[in-house]
Amino acid sequence: MSDELPEAFDLVVMGTGFTESCIAAAASRIGKTVLHLDKNEYYGGDSWGSFSLDALCSLLEKEVSESSALRNGSYTWHNVAAVDWDTDAPAVWTREAILAKSRRFNLDLCPRVLYAAGELVQLLIRSNICRYAEFRAVDHVCMNNNGEILSVPCSRSDVFNTKILTMVEKRLLMKFLMACNDYGEDKCNEDSLAFRGRSFVEYLQAQRVTEKIASCVMQSIAMCGPNSTFEEGMQRTQRFLSSLGRYGNTPFLFPMYGCGELPQCFCRLCAVFGGIYCLKRSVDAVSMDSQSQELLVSCEGKTLRAKHLVSGPGQVPINPVTPMRPNISRGLFISCSPLGNEEINKGGGGVNLLRLLADGGTREAIVIQLSHYSGACPEGLYIFHITTPAQSEDPIADLAPFTSQIFQNISQIVFSSHFTLYSPQSVEANALPLSIHCTSGPIYEIDYDAAISEAHRIFKELYPNEEFLPRAPDPEEIVIDGEDPSALNEHSLPEDLRAQLHDMELNSTENQ
Amino acid sequence: MHGRVKVRTTEEERERKKKEQALKMKAYRAAMTKIQKKRAGGELDDEMLGLTTQILLRNPDVSTLWNIRRECVLEKIRKITEEEEKQQENSVKPEDEPKKDEAEEEPKEVVDSPQKLPVEDQLQSILNHELQLTEQCLMVNPKSYNAWHHRCWSLEQNPLADWQRELQLCNKYLKYDERNFHTWDYRRYVTGKAQVPNKQELDFCTEKIKVNFSNYSSWHHRSLLLPQLYPNEQQDRPMSEEKLREELEMVLTAAFTDPNDSSAWFYQRWLLGQGFHGDKDAFTVVAFRLDPHGKAVIGLDKPFPAFNAKVQLVGKDSSVDISSWLPVNRDKSIWKSTETITIEAQESYELKLPNQQIKLSALPLNRGYFYFKPPNSLSSSCSQDLKAELETQLQSCLDLLDYEPDSKWTLLTSSLLMRAIDPSSHHAKSLEHLQKLQKVDPLRKGYYKDLAARWTLEYELNKWPQSEKFPLQFELDKQSEALTSLPYGQYLIIADELGLPEKLRNLAQTFNELKL
Repeated sequence: MSDELPEAFDLVVMGTGFTESCIAAAASRIGKTVLHLDKNEYYGGDSWGSFSLDALCSLLEKEVSESSALRNGSYTWHNVAAVDWDTDAPAVWTREAILAKSRRFNLDLCPRVLYAAGELVQLLIRSNICRYAEFRAVDHVCMNNNGEILSVPCSRSDVFNTKILTMVEKRLLMKFLMACNDYGEDKCNEDSLAFRGRSFVEYLQAQRVTEKIASCVMQSIAMCGPNSTFEEGMQRTQRFLSSLGRYGNTPFLFPMYGCGELPQCFCRLCAVFGGIYCLKRSVDAVSMDSQSQELLVSCEGKTLRAKHLVSGPGQVPINPVTPMRPNISRGLFISCSPLGNEEINKGGGGVNLLRLLADGGTREAIVIQLSHYSGACPEGLYIFHITTPAQSEDPIADLAPFTSQIFQNISQIVFSSHFTLYSPQSVEANALPLSIHCTSGPIYEIDYDAAISEAHRIFKELYPNEEFLPRAPDPEEIVIDGEDPSALNEHSLPEDLRAQLHDMELNSTENQ
Repeated sequence: MHGRVKVRTTEEERERKKKEQALKMKAYRAAMTKIQKKRAGGELDDEMLGLTTQILLRNPDVSTLWNIRRECVLEKIRKITEEEEKQQENSVKPEDEPKKDEAEEEPKEVVDSPQKLPVEDQLQSILNHELQLTEQCLMVNPKSYNAWHHRCWSLEQNPLADWQRELQLCNKYLKYDERNFHTWDYRRYVTGKAQVPNKQELDFCTEKIKVNFSNYSSWHHRSLLLPQLYPNEQQDRPMSEEKLREELEMVLTAAFTDPNDSSAWFYQRWLLGQGFHGDKDAFTVVAFRLDPHGKAVIGLDKPFPAFNAKVQLVGKDSSVDISSWLPVNRDKSIWKSTETITIEAQESYELKLPNQQIKLSALPLNRGYFYFKPPNSLSSSCSQDLKAELETQLQSCLDLLDYEPDSKWTLLTSSLLMRAIDPSSHHAKSLEHLQKLQKVDPLRKGYYKDLAARWTLEYELNKWPQSEKFPLQFELDKQSEALTSLPYGQYLIIADELGLPEKLRNLAQTFNELKL
């Protein structure tokens, strides 16, 4: 097959990160011609991909440039005491034993969980992109209760079964959650009205709840800080509650084989609707054809014409260069035992979510534990992803207050790594031509709401009157050119019905 | 442009659907006509099985077709066994009449038989096919009575049925839908056949309740297993007291988690009930009066439409059989004798029934003899441990009422708990709850009133023997003005005079008839 590309496109997208892939899919879906490039040889751009263990290590060793998103990388191997932890697994996970399974890992630079009724899940369903993705329901949402990791009762059956609450506490928690669920413009009751403009903690205290319930709610359900407002807390609680009871026992989903799968799902839709893909292609320069107002994109010695260009951070040399700043501090650990007790790791442990607080609740970190059920790591090993907003250029120092809470007793960590994800400082809009749009890279959030809203915003700037990712048809809804679209093809009937019809026709000819 | 994706419009889609519908209808009619024709001609063959399969897979609720299938299956089995018998006869024949010509034919038969499966395998394959079909049909409609029934029928036909496999199937289906009562029913049928230990079933049931306690089926399943696993010796509680305490705790946890879910409360009511009184067809005599004129009236604990027991009145040296009785009230819990019995004063009498022996007491003023046992006097029957558990539960309910003063299930349950602990000391409080229930749950007002009347009479009847007026006079005090019915009338037959509130007077008409 020839390597030659068409010369003109409606849209050239640089970088296969989440936001860029989303825009590429949306443009292709409405019939625009799309060329999607990435300077890397993998999907996901600089921050959104999943990697094998080998690949992650070389990424962490890589020399850092001015435009690098991943910096301050470091990793260490630890010697694990030869504890006969589990008779099925190898007695000792040595560095060699683990590296031999390198390709069984899908290590995310930017791991997330999805609210089961959140923006991304809704978008995937609405656009029919969900057909390309698989998910694991998160098994437990956890909290740190004075050093002990407990499963927070999420659903009604959790509340019923949990041993951490007394009978009356169960009632209080259910009552509180129901009140949050019913809170809204039309049916707000008077006592909640009084809390508008005050803090969520105040509201919680006024509900006569016990300390344990308060920490369940603050740490894991509303995921609030001491300064969160009442409205914010209510909104977050509602977001949690509305995602309950959809797929698993908790309100969260984790993409099988890692979050790096998600940008690829969007790329796939883009390709199905005719988008062209080239990885390991970088753009050398972008200029403007003053006559046609088109962009001239020079890409490895060739010049392409594009009406619009969307670029992920660090993908296109754009002047003036936007300085990068530390954005997210990350820790990534591999362990041979899960976090917490047997109760929250039944059947060898699943995918658990834990939100940690530090500095009196003003700082937070999200911990995601992945077992082999997530498809992201080999059986017998566990990945802990820790993510916190960057405070400095030192990810180890940023994460220390959190790692010390959970790893103090664990001598089972075999691999630890740290890095910082950098993002460009906000670009001044007028510094760029109107036909060039830059995405900002991942920000600190649990789900993908901000990334989707950015993709949506850029799409609307490109194509103000078009629908953002309408539902893609299923194969059986697609008509091939020249076919009568309303005709019922006999072959589309189930086999046995066809047989019955056939019999009937035979009978009628016999009768004649 | 060629190969471009084009999506059907909704208009086109609708038209397509309509055509498809019409085609399906035609096919269905054609198949049904053919089936009826074949059946009229007695053609119960493989083709018939094929035709019914096609329709049943789409609509598993055509019971006619399942009936036809059963005819076909039985016919097939009959043919196979017949053939087998013939073959056996044939293979016996050559030995009986050894002819040299036929000896050549023998090897042919031997070649034939490996092609044909042994009879047993053929039967298995026919019946397994039926099982597969019902399985597919249950995927279409998991609540198809017909498909479940046919499955049972197919298994009953098969002496080699694999019950363990059926159990696995139940597990699978209950994972899809833990509330499908068809599956629970079928599960009980299967566990009986597979002789699954009750303990194992109970564990399974507990797991299902943990997943979702809002499940009448699994609570019911428990209620069948527990009395067998942990029997209660006195039979006045549904199960052993220790287990009962555990169950009460579990069910109250469910109730606290969601007080509006009725399933847990219903189970709790069963737990707090009085368990088995043994045989449904047995009755107990609760009141009896023998008049000085020799007329007898008997009161039974429950309505008993066919009372014809042999009652023997045994005196010091005489004994009389009273065998002819007429019902006095509509629900037939009071019966009077048609004969007149000659009695002697100062005699002590006993009443002998097949399952009861009662000592009669003399009525004052030589007015005859009587027997009386007040209803539901069970307060003494529970142990200290159980009583403590009930007290804890009651306290929890009262705590819950602090948070939800209008929760109807909590109101009702707390009164039930009070009555289980001690009906008389909590009498006023439990009636208060019933009053409140009439307000918060007006749709069941009549039920609560009725309950109030029952509890009041139970209370009064239990108090009555201590009263000075006992047994000739029974009086309800003014607090009972609100009563709208008079339950437990059969207990009052020993009295000469009833002091009832105005409203109830006409209800007591039957008692006037009893003025002997």
